[in-house]
Amino acid sequence: MSLDLTLRLIESVNATPAGSTALIDVTGTHDVSVAQRWAEATGNTILTVHPGAVEILRGRMTDPIAALPPDRRPGYRLWLYTNFHCNLACDYCCVSSSPRAVPRIVSSEDTAELVRQATAAGVEELFITGGEPFMLLDLDERLRAALPHLPTTVLTNAMVWQGERRTRLEALPREGLTFQISLDSATAELHDRHRGAGSFDRAIAGIRLAIELGFRVRVAATLGHDAGTAEIELIELFDSLDLDAEQRVVRRVAQQGAANEGLTVSRASLIPEVCATADGVWWHPVAAADPAMQVSTSWSPLDEVIDAVRDEYRQHRIRGDVLASSFPCA
Amino acid sequence: MASENEVLVGAVAYSANVVPIWEGIRDYFRDSDAPMDFVLYSNYERQVEGLLAGHIDVAWNTNVAWVRTQRRTNGEARALASRDTDLTFKTYMISRAGSGLDDLASLKARRVALGSRDSGQARILPMFFLERAGLSADDMDLVIFDSDVGKHGDTGKSDLDALRAVIEDTADVAAVGSNTWEALLAAGDDTVADLAVTWVSENYTHCNFTALPSFPAERADVWVEHLMAMDWENPEHRRILELEGLTAWKPTDLAGYETLVEAMQAQGTADHW
Repeated sequence: MSLDLTLRLIESVNATPAGSTALIDVTGTHDVSVAQRWAEATGNTILTVHPGAVEILRGRMTDPIAALPPDRRPGYRLWLYTNFHCNLACDYCCVSSSPRAVPRIVSSEDTAELVRQATAAGVEELFITGGEPFMLLDLDERLRAALPHLPTTVLTNAMVWQGERRTRLEALPREGLTFQISLDSATAELHDRHRGAGSFDRAIAGIRLAIELGFRVRVAATLGHDAGTAEIELIELFDSLDLDAEQRVVRRVAQQGAANEGLTVSRASLIPEVCATADGVWWHPVAAADPAMQVSTSWSPLDEVIDAVRDEYRQHRIRGDVLASSFPCA
Repeated sequence: MASENEVLVGAVAYSANVVPIWEGIRDYFRDSDAPMDFVLYSNYERQVEGLLAGHIDVAWNTNVAWVRTQRRTNGEARALASRDTDLTFKTYMISRAGSGLDDLASLKARRVALGSRDSGQARILPMFFLERAGLSADDMDLVIFDSDVGKHGDTGKSDLDALRAVIEDTADVAAVGSNTWEALLAAGDDTVADLAVTWVSENYTHCNFTALPSFPAERADVWVEHLMAMDWENPEHRRILELEGLTAWKPTDLAGYETLVEAMQAQGTADHW
């Protein structure tokens, strides 16, 4: 019976163009193992075992993750929402943070354990966001737990560095720490329209303070449909702050959380950036309040969660590439 | 065994599927009054040279290869037939849904992904349409994918690379041919739900079977008559038609090349690389 199967495998798969798939009828686990051995020995790839059939990709599979730049591969960067409450209530916030949002805080102890697991899982950098992370008076404890192990970036609006928070800010290590500060336009009107009156001036003051205190600063703009020429004007502002290319981020509003309009995102169309919150793990930080984007209800064990995310991304991309290779062309 | 009466048709091997397509078409012509064989070229420039040198009677040409052949023959080459799908070819500008990009003018200062420099649908015409809308190359951040040069965009690879750039957020919008976009829609890929059409061009003509005046009209007529008789309702014909992406062969709409002629002239596209 194996010979019949092997002949069918040779006939069907060899007639299939590289990168396309063939569906071969099989009966039982013995046939499946024969097909697996044949595929391995002949440089082909079993994509899926269906009831009664195996789907074989002609040729070796190229790992879609290996094709990504190293710093975009799932598991390179870990995001952590330390909390969800915020001093602002931006009308496009992707997780609907505000002063009234349930804080859902990740403790300093849990942060230290997450960093330990992340380091063991091969994570190369940590991004802390919220909410406004500096709403947590003891954010510095979390940063001191992370910084010896991972370069860490904190996303902040740079508006709450007063009193005790200012004292703790000044005492933070500079090595390995970056503040990514939100600034949506070069003048107050557009920024304040979405983030609240007076927030532009305070953000500019926060950027200057962080630079004066010797912190590495990146400035990030989030632009909606009403941004007009804001991106072009921001370039001049970035230049005046002497920010290099690595210190400038411009992205578009996503239709998530409080945003009524913006880019549509889903697991199928986003390269995952594993994101931990008090409620579990999410596909990407831009959608950490979207139930469809939740990967797991727990971030531990983190290595298994990261592997699951990689597998899902890999399967989707392989499917997409198989589809692409079968297009009828001109 | 080759016959003197055989019509020799050139085609470009843009994918492994090209072999079963042309073997199928050759088999269909076997018992006709115009038997044929085919020759595969590695790129369209080589094929155009082969046609001009008399190595083949007919070339299955892209629109760019057709315009080049016309230039090299002072407009005397003849278009014998096209696919029905060639007569309604379009270029789509695809962005992420919700981007707010809803016409070409809105692409000012945005990242625009374009395909291979010899692709009519993914590069030459989109750039022409953008310029016609008042945008020069300096007005946009162009993200170029010269992924399949020589194939005039046939592989669809540069279209897919451009779409992937939108998904990976290295571009805001991608120019793709209607064959690629409509195939993605038909396949129902999950990713497509997150994409939207920013703009679509008018119809233009894509491929045709090109012959030189030296190919006798009576031989061409017999061959074209048999070609046109391929029937979608015939399962054996349909297998070939589906692989080649058409439902019926049609007379070529020459007016559909006018925009490309203008675009190649405006962009100073060379007669051959």
